[in-house]
Amino acid sequence: MSNTDVVTVRGLRKAYGNRVVVDGLDLDVPAGQIVGLIGANGAGKTTTVECVQGLRRPDAGTLRVLGYDPVTQAERLRPLVGSQLQDSALPDRLRVAEAVELFRTPHGRDGAELLAQFGLAARRRSAFASLSGGERQRLFLVLALLNQPRLVILDELTQGLDPAARRDVWAAVRRLHEDGTTVLLVTHEIDEAEALCGQVVVMRAGRVLDAGTPSDLVNRHSAVATIRFSLPDPPAGLLDLLRRLDGVLTVDRAGSRVAVRGDRRIIAHVGAALVRWDSVPADLSVHIPALEDALLDLLDEDTELACATELIGAAR
Amino acid sequence: MNGQAVRLIRAELRLMRRDPLVLTFVFVFPVVTMLIIGGAFGTTPDQAFDFTNPSHWYVASYLTVVIGAIGLVMVPVHLASYRERGVLRRFAVAGFPRWSFAIAELVVGLVTTLVACALLLAIAAPVYGLPAMHDGWRVLLALAIGTVGFISLGVLLGSVLPSARSAQAVGLVLFFPSFLLGAGGPPPHVMGSAVRTIAGPLPLTLLTNAVREPWLGIGTATTSLIALAALTVVVTAVAARRAVL
Repeated sequence: MSNTDVVTVRGLRKAYGNRVVVDGLDLDVPAGQIVGLIGANGAGKTTTVECVQGLRRPDAGTLRVLGYDPVTQAERLRPLVGSQLQDSALPDRLRVAEAVELFRTPHGRDGAELLAQFGLAARRRSAFASLSGGERQRLFLVLALLNQPRLVILDELTQGLDPAARRDVWAAVRRLHEDGTTVLLVTHEIDEAEALCGQVVVMRAGRVLDAGTPSDLVNRHSAVATIRFSLPDPPAGLLDLLRRLDGVLTVDRAGSRVAVRGDRRIIAHVGAALVRWDSVPADLSVHIPALEDALLDLLDEDTELACATELIGAAR
Repeated sequence: MNGQAVRLIRAELRLMRRDPLVLTFVFVFPVVTMLIIGGAFGTTPDQAFDFTNPSHWYVASYLTVVIGAIGLVMVPVHLASYRERGVLRRFAVAGFPRWSFAIAELVVGLVTTLVACALLLAIAAPVYGLPAMHDGWRVLLALAIGTVGFISLGVLLGSVLPSARSAQAVGLVLFFPSFLLGAGGPPPHVMGSAVRTIAGPLPLTLLTNAVREPWLGIGTATTSLIALAALTVVVTAVAARRAVL
């Protein structure tokens, strides 16, 4: 925990009946950052943020949000937090400008200016029910930002949006970050977390599997890059040279196709070696692992670990 | 009152005006049925109507149809729809005071009752004439208690039923028998004894008795008023706990 953390969670546990949804979770959200809470459906992300928002009472653990306890000090905390909730709506016949008027406190930002900033100025008189999915999400963002919150919580912000609407919403979130607002973003879209988040917390079955910057996670869990190219009858000398390069793990040949795997340094080394050998293939491609690869590898590791633990337990 | 609560009340009043269910059930239905039933039995005082003008009997009864429609149909559907769609959670995380939605529902229910009753009387006056009010304070007391009680009942239904559709189904199932047996249907004297036994303790029957009898001067309906008040206290206490954000 640092004194610049906006959210600090320690040992959070929440169960619904016998089903444990969050199990001993720790989470820190530093000020001014976009932190992504990522995991498959049912990982416990939404329950975690609902506890952070004070909408649910934890069974165990401690939470501090902007210095307040979200359960016992909810009324003091909520004006400082802007929230966009998963699966929530506004009354169908409420118009956009009326929604702004309803949710804006006396010290809030200029609603008309925010609507214009998020491309909703022309929809001021439209009823909520007539808005498209993208327009609704942008309106929720406007409402979340209206009262100049110090923390913004966005839960499955772009769920169900078309690609263009997603990009609009992403741009809006980036503007928040540029303005210095702290954002806790809940998503199961890995590309969204990679595009927006400075820190990513990976959850599974109510636990944190790992946390760090997207590149930290990639380096920890999926650091292997792959270079593929074709050469007619690849010379054995070239393949030996490639195997001796720094960082190379494997070199595989299948007919004219060659695949070289290793850490990311091999990209430069293999390119240089091919040029020196005077064999520059026209179809060279490089696959650098992305956050998605890292997370899939991380989840595989966790599954293997869980299976191994189960087997050891059964053997004992 | 807190500024957020005032804004919520204002928004809810605005939305109520735009709701076709409210317009139909609270404003149109009682007026149309009063005009039909009120004219069906003529204006000659009759034993079945405690020797009062049947049209006046129904004018005095139909104010409670408005209250029943608000409490059994309008409020539960509205509240269940908000719960189902996450609107209440949105109010909660936006920092609206915990009691603000309950207060908003009560104020909107009271205002809607007032406007719908005024409309009903305004239409009844030139058609059937308004019956003289024998004990105005008792009538107003019964209307006030009944309105609060039925709004609370609506809040309670809306907070336990899982969806707007189920609230509408349950609300209609409760409303129509109550309407026919306790307010806008045939007078109790023409009902069979079994039906009268069923109709007697229905909340809408209690309210209608407590309004109609002192209005037309055919009784005080003190027992009905006390039973209604007791029901209102219990239902309001439970509903207030269920309606906090």
